Amino acid sequence: MDRPDTVADLTAALRRGGYLADRGLATALFVAIGLHRPVLLEGEVGVGKTEVAKVLAAIFGRQLIRLQCYEGIDTSQALYEWDYARQMLHIRALSEQQIADPDAVDKLFGPKFLLERPLLEAVRAGERAVLLIDEVDRADDEFEAFLLEVLSDFQLSIPEIGTIKADSPPLVVLTSNRTRELHDALKRRCLYHWIGYPAAEREVEIVLLKEPGVGEALTRKVVFAVQRLRELDLAKPPGVAETIDWARALSFLGADDLDVAAAGETLGAVVKERDDLELVLDNLADITAGA
Amino acid sequence: MTSSSCWITSRTSPQVPDSTDRGHPGLRSPRAGAALIGTLVRFGRELRSAGLAVGSGDLTSYAAALAQLDPSDLGDVYWAGRTVLVTRRDDIAVYDRVFRGFFLGASDPFTAMLVMNAGGPTATSAAELVIPATDLTPDEQQGEQAVLGLMASGAETLRHKSFAACTPSELVAVRRIMARIRLTPPRRRTRRTAPARDGTTLDLRRMIRQSMRAHGEPVELYWRARKARSRPVILILDVSGSMADYSRNLLQFAYSAKRAAAKVEVFCFGTRLTRITRELDHRRPDDALAHAASTVFDWEGGTRIGSSLDSFVRDWGRRGLCRGGIVVICSDGLDRGDPAVLAAAMERLARLSYRIVWMNPHKGGDLAFRPSTLGMMVAEPHIDLLLSGHDLSSLEELASLLPSLN
Repeated sequence: MDRPDTVADLTAALRRGGYLADRGLATALFVAIGLHRPVLLEGEVGVGKTEVAKVLAAIFGRQLIRLQCYEGIDTSQALYEWDYARQMLHIRALSEQQIADPDAVDKLFGPKFLLERPLLEAVRAGERAVLLIDEVDRADDEFEAFLLEVLSDFQLSIPEIGTIKADSPPLVVLTSNRTRELHDALKRRCLYHWIGYPAAEREVEIVLLKEPGVGEALTRKVVFAVQRLRELDLAKPPGVAETIDWARALSFLGADDLDVAAAGETLGAVVKERDDLELVLDNLADITAGA
Repeated sequence: MTSSSCWITSRTSPQVPDSTDRGHPGLRSPRAGAALIGTLVRFGRELRSAGLAVGSGDLTSYAAALAQLDPSDLGDVYWAGRTVLVTRRDDIAVYDRVFRGFFLGASDPFTAMLVMNAGGPTATSAAELVIPATDLTPDEQQGEQAVLGLMASGAETLRHKSFAACTPSELVAVRRIMARIRLTPPRRRTRRTAPARDGTTLDLRRMIRQSMRAHGEPVELYWRARKARSRPVILILDVSGSMADYSRNLLQFAYSAKRAAAKVEVFCFGTRLTRITRELDHRRPDDALAHAASTVFDWEGGTRIGSSLDSFVRDWGRRGLCRGGIVVICSDGLDRGDPAVLAAAMERLARLSYRIVWMNPHKGGDLAFRPSTLGMMVAEPHIDLLLSGHDLSSLEELASLLPSLN
């Protein structure tokens, strides 16, 4: 698939790729593709932000390039790095005369010794790539400022080599868990979409699509229970990923119904905090009661 | 990473692709196009007056986005606007409200036509427009402005005079002195490195450059060391009746601190918690506090320290806002809620943050002060430093003790 013609086309393609997008998300992605703008996805943990980029890459047959952000990430991890070990060996192998050659340094800092990191790789690949900048909120604001420059015109300068520009920009998906507020300037470059928890029916569909092996009756009970969990006052409410994990765990253990015993044994798939666990165990009968 | 700005040598404006080849048939007619643009501009103006930062560049993007979609479908008009014009979750509610008022309470003919088309045969599948229900946001409570009770007025006497006993003119003087106090939070090492005389990792880039002169022999070792950076300071201020006088001054203190480069986050609570960091950027501290007081306080409810701290932990702490930071809580510890909630919230907060400082004005200058309120007793095991914060000298004490909290 090259480029979708309508939002409905894109929704259908995503569904074929195993992703159920609601109208808001599909519209945001459609516009992002059409206008060559990065799209920033925010939402609770485990609602499928990263998955969007993977599926987009798969359905358009593009290469997925992923940049995982973390505190202290800098250009040598995001952009490019020189292969120092090879450079060192190369210098040692040169003769006296070769070293005196004024071009020797230029050769040393040439494409041969350049290690591409995700951003450079994405700019080189252009529209053949989907660039996923994951958890951008984990990087610090210095990196954000740098990212801003790259995302505004998909052009990078390497002092020793020159400017590299994407013929046509890659499709860029940024995700954030909102551990901190991103800078407005970065947000202005992007289209924005907030992914919330899906409604019960939609979540059942998602689980069935992801885990066809799990029976529909069990899926419904699991989804119902998870929706109840989200209503409880948990410190870490379960995301869709947890719902899928739970259904998978139950079916792996051969359970065909979600009763108190089965739920108690597999609770580790959905509830991952001790205080929450106590609260949930107290209400387990209620949670597994079914719709 | 000061060198990052030199990577990019030239800047061009972002590409706006030619939309003529893909434009929706509805936009081909110039007159309809102009009417649509007019509507969008008016809509943008409405959003702007509701407080969203919508620039003309954003409107251009909005129009370009709609050109990709079906402008006669209200659902597309909604979602395109939401994805282009809204940049943070808190603004979604405002956008929804303005959208509803503008397009669903349509007055001008073109807008009315859009609405009529929304469910009509020309609309694409799933055309019914469901604007998600949204919570009441602070924005919607903006109407009322509660006025905090105004406080009644040589530097050395001021230092030890309780804020509550100061006259307005004395307070002005206090603030002038306060603006001069510099907050220097303890520092922590980051994962970023900078060239250093000695360090933990080799600066290979520099070594390669230098070794060219020595025929590839690395003559000298160059090092990089991890940089240090100030820990964030998070102020959580009780603005209930009995505490308002003190919190105001602490807020003024925070305001001065914020300008002194350290990263400072400020929250207020009465019965609810609200974040006022952003407002401090463009409001004077008093206005920000008065505005915050109107949104955080149900006058009936009394102070709920436990549930306010709990919501801080849930909504902000867990996401990493106070990780590695110094949390300064200013409250008298008179909690109307369940002490178990406060205890649990404090325990979590202690795990999420680096140090907790509690300023209790009732402590006064009493060195042997023992917390007597239930709230304070419950919170005490998790507090690293208990100060009074009731006068200028105690704020200076905070400023001087802060660097030693490492």
